[in-house]
Amino acid sequence: MKKQHSRRAIRILKRAASHAVLIVACLFALFPIYFMIVASFSTFPLGAISASILVPRPSQVTLTSYHAILLDQNPSFVAMLTNSLIFAGSAALIGLGLAAFTGFALSKFNFPGRRTFVYFILLISLFPSFVMILPFYLMFAKLGLIDTYIGLIIPYSAGAVVFSGILVKNYMDSIPDDIEEAALVDGLGRTEAFFRVLIPLCLPVLGLAAFLAFVGPYTDYAFAHVFIDTSNLWTLALGLYSINSPEGQGVQNYGLVCAFALVMSLPIVAFYMAFQRWIIGGLTMGAVRG
Amino acid sequence: MTGIRLEHLTKRFKNQVAVEDVSADIRNGEFVVILGASGSGKTTILRMIAGLEVQTSGHVYIGDMLVDDYEPRDRNIAMVFQTYALYPHLSVRKNIGFGLKVRHVERSEIDRRVTAVAELLGISETLDRRPSELSGGQRQRVALGRAIVRDPEAFLLDEPLSNLDAKIRSSARIELKRLHSQLGQTFVFVTHDQTEAMTLGDRLAVMNHGRLLQYDTPERVLSHPTNRFVASFVGSPEMDFLEGSVEPTGGSYTFISGPIQIPVRGVGRPGPVTIGLRPWDITVHQAAGAGSVPARVAGVERLGSSDQVFLEVGPPGAPGPGGLPAPPLTLRALVRSYDFEVGNMVSIGFDADRALYFTADGNRIESMSAPTRVG
Repeated sequence: MKKQHSRRAIRILKRAASHAVLIVACLFALFPIYFMIVASFSTFPLGAISASILVPRPSQVTLTSYHAILLDQNPSFVAMLTNSLIFAGSAALIGLGLAAFTGFALSKFNFPGRRTFVYFILLISLFPSFVMILPFYLMFAKLGLIDTYIGLIIPYSAGAVVFSGILVKNYMDSIPDDIEEAALVDGLGRTEAFFRVLIPLCLPVLGLAAFLAFVGPYTDYAFAHVFIDTSNLWTLALGLYSINSPEGQGVQNYGLVCAFALVMSLPIVAFYMAFQRWIIGGLTMGAVRG
Repeated sequence: MTGIRLEHLTKRFKNQVAVEDVSADIRNGEFVVILGASGSGKTTILRMIAGLEVQTSGHVYIGDMLVDDYEPRDRNIAMVFQTYALYPHLSVRKNIGFGLKVRHVERSEIDRRVTAVAELLGISETLDRRPSELSGGQRQRVALGRAIVRDPEAFLLDEPLSNLDAKIRSSARIELKRLHSQLGQTFVFVTHDQTEAMTLGDRLAVMNHGRLLQYDTPERVLSHPTNRFVASFVGSPEMDFLEGSVEPTGGSYTFISGPIQIPVRGVGRPGPVTIGLRPWDITVHQAAGAGSVPARVAGVERLGSSDQVFLEVGPPGAPGPGGLPAPPLTLRALVRSYDFEVGNMVSIGFDADRALYFTADGNRIESMSAPTRVG
């Protein structure tokens, strides 16, 4: 009896400890978001930050910051949002399409040099993307692609192919060849089997890949800063920097920055919500014997 | 509904020979079982018929058509995979109807045929479920349904029963046989399980190391195996083999191996041979009789309807390299349940009419067996 009791106590203690760790971790993760929300609804000058703003009084809540970023910006917030969505959306679509084919080829076809190619792609993905900025810039300057939509969409898509291609390949490896072969016997060619059987089975990983391929370009500052000059091609990331520090003097107004960042993050949240059911997948279960 | 012909089919993977020079004729409406251990090349043959694997040399005919250059989809055969390979993202209804849909069959016609097939297989109530919600037996039926619904030239089945529980397996066997006689179509069935092979096949193709060793009816494979491998692979419990030699005795010949003497009923020829006897062709008696061989019961396996006894014949042999005596010759015999216990001293006899003779390299010497030998 006694032994059972002590074992139970240990189990409860263990659980309590793990919960405590998780709660602390959550606080660290959630506090910045909370701060951002609170700050975006208040105005306070530099140096006026104190603990008191964490619990705002209703009378202090103001929409001034939102008004400023949504209406008083030049270029307008909507224009920058449109640009960001064009860049990130195109990169996600193009990158994803190419990644699906790349993954299919690397997973289901046997060709000489396949392994080498996979290692090569992995090697490329080890380099931080900003080392590519200079070569891309020189190349695109020669091609006259600087300061154009295409000039930024190409490197964004390329980045997505490298990363998502491997992601899709690994996922397709887990789909038994039998399923594709069953489709071939059932009357499909390989290309048709790819679109009608493999792609539907890959939706979970494609959702995840699309999400990652979208978020990267959407939040990118480095490439956009180098490749874009004209303000009517500005993305939100560039806009955030410009309100953050108009003359490069550091943050002037936290409320403004926080409101901007908050609105900017809404499309990502929406995207995640929309694809959540694919991202958390598990469709291949039950395909084969159970 | 069509026959299949394989002509000198060979498949090499890099330097490994998976299938070597296999020729076989599968008749229209026949149920042929390809039997072999894993790695014998049996599945590779099935895949070459389906077009999922391209042969290194040789030809495949479906009906009168040479299909070597045909894609799987143009061969109009159906295949049931060992893993069933159902489409996990589609309902049972869509899984079964998939092959019709991609062939642009009208929707009402698809519905009609899927419903009929589901009824035939007793899976009507599962039509709107996903494969992941089905039991193993139900999945196997869906895989069968997907094959049947298309009304193909022939059915290829790759160990479709191996993932089922032992209990369902025997009823699935009966069902499959019934289905075959109902459909009257050509079935090619791959398995490593000889019970499946014996019960299902009109003819068996026994394979080993990529070679087709024997292609005959189950009865003939059992009673007239072409070589020692087939003799030992087919039949349960496994055949007993005795090494010895044939010697002239008076006007006839006798096989002699230690204390065992078995008269040769066919055309005798002196020299070393191996004799093969089915466990049910060895008789066991409690008391010693004239001309019988004494033995000790070393083990008993209760099989239910009968017992398999392991019999030690003669004294232990001379000490081997480890100083331990070489184990005595052990034979299997099939006897009535609970007739013998471990440790019983018994005498054994052999049915000389049913003995099979093999050369040292495993080929059968047909002429030495009894000329009237049957079954």
